[in-house]
Amino acid sequence: MSAVLLIAIPLLAAFISILFKKYSIYLLFAVTIFNIANVFLATEGIIIIGGFSPPLGISLLVDTYSKIALLLVNALVLVIAALNVKAYPKYGTILLLVVAGLNGLVLTNDLFNFFVFLEISGIAAYLITASNKKPITTFRYLVIGAIGSSLFLLGLIILYSMFGTLNMVDMIKEIALNNNYQELVLPFTLMFIGLGVEAKLLPFNSWVKGILGHSNTFSGPMIASVYASAMGFVLGRFITNLFNFEGMLLTVVLVILVAGIVLSDIMAFASKKSREILLFSSVAQASMIALLFVNGIIIWAVYLIIANALSKTVMFMIINKAQKDVGSDEVKSLQGLFANNLVIGIIFTIATLSVMGLPLLVGFTIKLNFLTELADAGQIWTIAFILIASVVEGIYFVKLLLKLWYPEGNLIKVNYHLSFKLVFAIIALALLTFGVYQAPLDKLDNTVDTVMEVVNNG
Amino acid sequence: MIQYAAILLFVLGLYGIFISTNTIKMLVSLNILEIGLNIFIISIGFNYQGIAPILSSVSDTGLIYVDPLPQALVLTAIVIGVGTTALGLAFAKSIYQKYQSFDLNDMEESL
Repeated sequence: MSAVLLIAIPLLAAFISILFKKYSIYLLFAVTIFNIANVFLATEGIIIIGGFSPPLGISLLVDTYSKIALLLVNALVLVIAALNVKAYPKYGTILLLVVAGLNGLVLTNDLFNFFVFLEISGIAAYLITASNKKPITTFRYLVIGAIGSSLFLLGLIILYSMFGTLNMVDMIKEIALNNNYQELVLPFTLMFIGLGVEAKLLPFNSWVKGILGHSNTFSGPMIASVYASAMGFVLGRFITNLFNFEGMLLTVVLVILVAGIVLSDIMAFASKKSREILLFSSVAQASMIALLFVNGIIIWAVYLIIANALSKTVMFMIINKAQKDVGSDEVKSLQGLFANNLVIGIIFTIATLSVMGLPLLVGFTIKLNFLTELADAGQIWTIAFILIASVVEGIYFVKLLLKLWYPEGNLIKVNYHLSFKLVFAIIALALLTFGVYQAPLDKLDNTVDTVMEVVNNG
Repeated sequence: MIQYAAILLFVLGLYGIFISTNTIKMLVSLNILEIGLNIFIISIGFNYQGIAPILSSVSDTGLIYVDPLPQALVLTAIVIGVGTTALGLAFAKSIYQKYQSFDLNDMEESL
C-alpha cells in the first residue's frame, strides 16, 4: 500500500466528515486504524508523487524512523480521541486534520511541503487548544506559532536561493558539497527557531504555560504527547540530516538546550500547580530529546520520545480529569487524590518514576544508555548538568507523589472511567516491560538509519 | 534592493507584534510580516531581463525566464496566511465577546 494514503485518506475524510458531523469521530477511528495497518504494509523508500522524479516534484520518504513516528502519532490520536469521545465528541474533523498534518510532517521529503504541513497541523493545534476556553492563551499561541513558521519559511527560502532545490535529500547532497558552513548559519538558525517554537524548546516556548497550564483531558495529552512526539521526530530528522551543527552554532545550540533542561526543571520545582509541574517537565524533556539528536544519539532520543509520549499522556489525563472534578490543579487541592484511586495512583506513580529514570522502568534504560554514550563522546559538562536537572526533577516529582498519595483532611473524590484505567494500565505495563526486557529495543537500534543511509542503501 | 524593503517590512511586522497589546493590531502586524516574507520569496526568483515562464511554440533560445517556483510558493503562503488571519480574527472576536475589549492589557486580571 502507498504511504501517500496516510496523508490523502485523513484529508479526504476531514472533508467528508463536515457533511456527517455526528459521525466524524467514528470516521477518525476508522482512518487511524487504517493508517496503523497501512504503516505496516507501506513499502520503504522514496515515494514519487505525480510522476515528477526527484528533485523536481514532491516526494515522500518512508523509512523505519518515519514508520515509528507514524505508528506513535496515529495510535496516540486514536487512544486520546477514544477516551474523550463523550466529553469532546465534536473534534473529529479537526483530529483528522491533525492526523493528515502530522503524518505529512513526518513523511515529506520536500521542505516547502513541510512548511505547508507545519501550518495545517498548527491550525489544527490552535483549534484543539480552543477547547481550553481560554481565548487569550490560544490567540498568543497562534501569533507565536505564525511567527515561528514564518521564520522557518524565511530560512528555507534562503536555502533555496543558495542551492536551487527544495528536495531534502538533494539539499543534503548539495550542502555536503558546499564546505562553507558559515553561509548556512543564518538559514539554519531561522529554521531551528521556527521548529523550536512548535517543539516547545526554551526560550521559544512562551505559549506553553498558557496552553498546557489550562489544558483539559483532550488538549493536554494532544499537545504534550502527540504534537510533542511528532515535532521531536521532525526536529531529529532536521538536526541529524540537514543542520549537522558545527563550530560556534553547535556551542550556542548546546548551551540553549542544556539551559532549557536545567531551567525548566527549576521552574517545575518552584511551581505549586500540578499541571505546571507536568508542562515544565515536558519542556525539559523536549530540550533533552533535541540535545540527544544534536549529539547524534538517535536511537535513544527516539525511545525517549516514545516513553515520554506514553508517560505524559497518562499523567496529563489523570491530572486534568482530577482538575475537572475538583475545580483546581493546585497540588494542595489534589492532596490524597490516590487514596481513593489505588489503580490510577499506581499507574501515575509508574509513569512518573519512568520519567524520572528509576531502575526497572524504561526511562532508566534510556537514561543510562544515553548518559553512557554522552560519556563516550566526552560530554562531561552536559552529563553534569543533566544529572543536576535529574536530581531537581526527582525532588519535585517525589514531592508531588507524596502529596497525591497521602491525604490531609477530607478525601477528594474523582471518578475515573474503566476505559481510562484499562488504557493507562496497558501503557504502565509497557513502561515496565521494556524496562526489564530490552531485546526489542536493541533489535530496532540496528534498523534506524539517517536519510542518506536510506537513500544510499535503497 | 527589493530584498532590503522586504526584510524591513518583516522586521517592522515583528516589532509591531511585540509592542502591540491590541489583538487586531497584532494581526495587522502579523500580516505586514507575512507580506514582507512573500515579497522576499518573490524577489528570489525575480530577474530584470526575465520574461514570464510560459512555454510557447516560439523558439526559446537565448530567453531568460523568471523562476516560477517562488511564485507558486508565494501563492500557497498567501492562502495559508489568510487562513491563519481568519482564525486569529475569530479568536479576537471570542476574546472581545468574553472581555468586551481587544486590548490584552485590559484583561490581564481576568486571566
